[in-house]
Amino acid sequence: MKKELGIDILNSIQKPARYTGGEFSSVIKENATVRMALAFPDIYEVGMSYLGFKILYHLVNKMDDVAAERVYAPWVDLEEKMRAEDIVLSTLETKQALCECDLVGFTLQYELSYTNILNMLDLGKVTVLAADRKEDEPFVVVGGPCVYNPEPLAEVFDFAIVGEGEEVLIEVLECYKNWKVAGKPGGRKGFLEKVVTIKGIYVPAFYDVSYNADGTVAEVTPNNALAPKTVEKRVVKDMNSIDFPTAPIVPFNEIVHDRIMLEVFRGCSRGCRFCHAGMVYRPVRERKPEVLKELARELVKNTGYNEISLVSLSTADYSCLGPVIEDMIAEFKKDRVSVSLPSLRIDSFDVELAKKVQEVRKSGLTFAPEAGSQKMRDVINKGVTEEDLMNAVGAAFESGWKKVKLYFMIGLPEETDEDILAIADLARKVQWKYKEVVGQGGGQVTVSASGFVPKPYTPFQWSGQTELEELRRKQFLLKDALKMKNVSFQYHDARTSIIEGVFARGDRRLGKVLYEAWSKGARFDGWIEHFSYDNWLEALASCGLSQEFYAQRERGENEVFPWEHLEPAISRKFLWNEYQKALAQTLTHDCRHGTCTGCGVCQQLGVEVVDWSEQKS
Amino acid sequence: MKLRLQITKDQDIRFISHLEYARTIERAIRRAGLPVAYSEGFNPHMKFSLASALGVGVVSKAEFVEIELAEPTSPLDAANALNDALPRGIQVLAVDAVENSAAKLMSVAGGAEYEIFLPYDKDMSTAVEKFNAATELTYEKAAPKARNKVKLIDVKKFIPAIGLTAANGVVRLHFHCKITPSGSMKAVDLLNTLNQYYALELPINKADVRRLDLYRSDEDGHIWPMLDSIYKSTK
Repeated sequence: MKKELGIDILNSIQKPARYTGGEFSSVIKENATVRMALAFPDIYEVGMSYLGFKILYHLVNKMDDVAAERVYAPWVDLEEKMRAEDIVLSTLETKQALCECDLVGFTLQYELSYTNILNMLDLGKVTVLAADRKEDEPFVVVGGPCVYNPEPLAEVFDFAIVGEGEEVLIEVLECYKNWKVAGKPGGRKGFLEKVVTIKGIYVPAFYDVSYNADGTVAEVTPNNALAPKTVEKRVVKDMNSIDFPTAPIVPFNEIVHDRIMLEVFRGCSRGCRFCHAGMVYRPVRERKPEVLKELARELVKNTGYNEISLVSLSTADYSCLGPVIEDMIAEFKKDRVSVSLPSLRIDSFDVELAKKVQEVRKSGLTFAPEAGSQKMRDVINKGVTEEDLMNAVGAAFESGWKKVKLYFMIGLPEETDEDILAIADLARKVQWKYKEVVGQGGGQVTVSASGFVPKPYTPFQWSGQTELEELRRKQFLLKDALKMKNVSFQYHDARTSIIEGVFARGDRRLGKVLYEAWSKGARFDGWIEHFSYDNWLEALASCGLSQEFYAQRERGENEVFPWEHLEPAISRKFLWNEYQKALAQTLTHDCRHGTCTGCGVCQQLGVEVVDWSEQKS
Repeated sequence: MKLRLQITKDQDIRFISHLEYARTIERAIRRAGLPVAYSEGFNPHMKFSLASALGVGVVSKAEFVEIELAEPTSPLDAANALNDALPRGIQVLAVDAVENSAAKLMSVAGGAEYEIFLPYDKDMSTAVEKFNAATELTYEKAAPKARNKVKLIDVKKFIPAIGLTAANGVVRLHFHCKITPSGSMKAVDLLNTLNQYYALELPINKADVRRLDLYRSDEDGHIWPMLDSIYKSTK
């Protein structure tokens, strides 16, 4: 089995440093009983920016006898050479071919990266379909945000980890180690029957799916007595009790998020109705300010990075943000280390805070009003007003900023052309605000609009996705309306949103479509230069399925969804009520500071919202 | 005070680019906690520089980095701290210290010594003899970003002679390459030159290029080390 990438290959591909490893703080374990590949189904620069794998890499490598190693999707230039010379995809650390690993764990970040999973398994000489995998082949594991509907991949992975991985992955690896050391009793099925008894583990082969005549799911039932009827997600109760990596790998080449990423809290209870993460990562659990400051200190010392990004789903909502930022800036200023925030909410925008984070380095400001009209912002429960935006940008312009970027979605439920044009109006008003505050024109506005994709376990899971031609028309409507000086417009190819929509709410039958599309060359579908819509439509048609059924169809109140045996613990009744409130343009408040809004997560999982400014414990 | 260090770029990381190599050193300096000097302004940058750019894929035992410090420190302690903060694949071999006003290392490098290993089973000794006997050889190099433009490289000005040994289907070329105030040439372009003049069909993509040394020199051809009073690192 040829693993080595020779000098001639490395000389003839883009960015060879992606494939050679050796980075500072990467962990080489020559001897380990169990080796797990953490496989990211995209290129190195994207995968290395993913915080989840930084956390798991660190935790697993702390275990005795267990090694976590990294592998990323080779870019098409390298894949071509690997296939021509029969070189097997291997990990960066000790060059284990994927087929030599005990487990290969993929993160499901994005539906359009699914073909890369199939492709990486194939390049790693691992049998692509789980049912055909031989006794000595690795177990293929999946986790990550899309695990709340992994059904299109159900024929590919052996088991899934549902929820936060910190605790459960260790349990899984201990379980695997014991099974391996004991001589693998019962073979592959023997292990799956052991691992399925761990809370949060889903083994798709242990469930049967039946369908109604209209193609919707009739029932999902366990076919193995050990498999639970529904798999509830795992959560970490206390963010201060779990280990956060303070010596993450520092890459040689520039990655997408090339800075310290410090997670300040997990979960978000704002309740934006389009937001998958906001629904499935509940409840809000903050880290203590003292813990964050200590982590930052260690991270600066161990990485040599000059920027700390405070990350979470909505960092401006961190209850102790002001003091934490002030303390960090004061402490690290002498080392020229700056503190940054990923994006800002316009209602909690604090210009003094924004000024502080700019003290060391200047950067642009990004706001996410998400929709142009008040009506639409109420539909999605964004809970912000035009006045909030004007105050925020006004304060920013007054303090010397000249550029703002505004994020929007188009193709939302209940949206009319007026709502689209309201985005252009907002952009214009932001420019007027600049003129009013600064006394002359020239404020620069970037409008970014992405096509809305309804996701499972959100109130819009019942909603039909806007069809392709209509989405395109809306893009052009906005594009034409935004032909203004100093305004630029960014948008994506609407066709990718449709395929994303198909897989987001897809069922097991899409496994064949995925396989078919991959066999015909689909990979890197998230990269527009490699995305072939026609290939996907052909694959759907050849399996007797259609994008209309999965993406555009409005679901009935009582339809059984293909993903309901996987539980983020948010109640279906709550989601339906939220959907009805969306249609009625009624808001739901944030439970973080007010009363419980009844999503059911805390009660079902036995966890609590943790907000340090209110608890002071 | 400025620290001058001789560091390596080992095999495992030979394919990181010059920019990536420089950024890695910058982060290591920060991790090592050296009292490094910064420029003023909105985007303060660390005051350090590398003596010469190394091509992607080239292994080196002789890279030199110069670091300006905000306050003097023990060179040996600094070298050890930096060594501990560097990734596998970069090691500190030697250290020296000079005053801030000393000329930049980059401006004093006069030449480099290379070896190239290459799978090649034909006899190329005649070609090497011809190369060594030639008084002038010009290599036309396509300018990387401009179409229809070529750069003319006076190869013999930089590389007067090559040493050749061959064993088991692998040839080893050994040579010195001058670095002048107006530039130098890439080691791999020597192979291109040999192919162009002597139709050797050397497999350039497979060349294993190693920089063995970088040194100062004068017009009379005397050479001496980049670092004056060398404290060898304890590691």
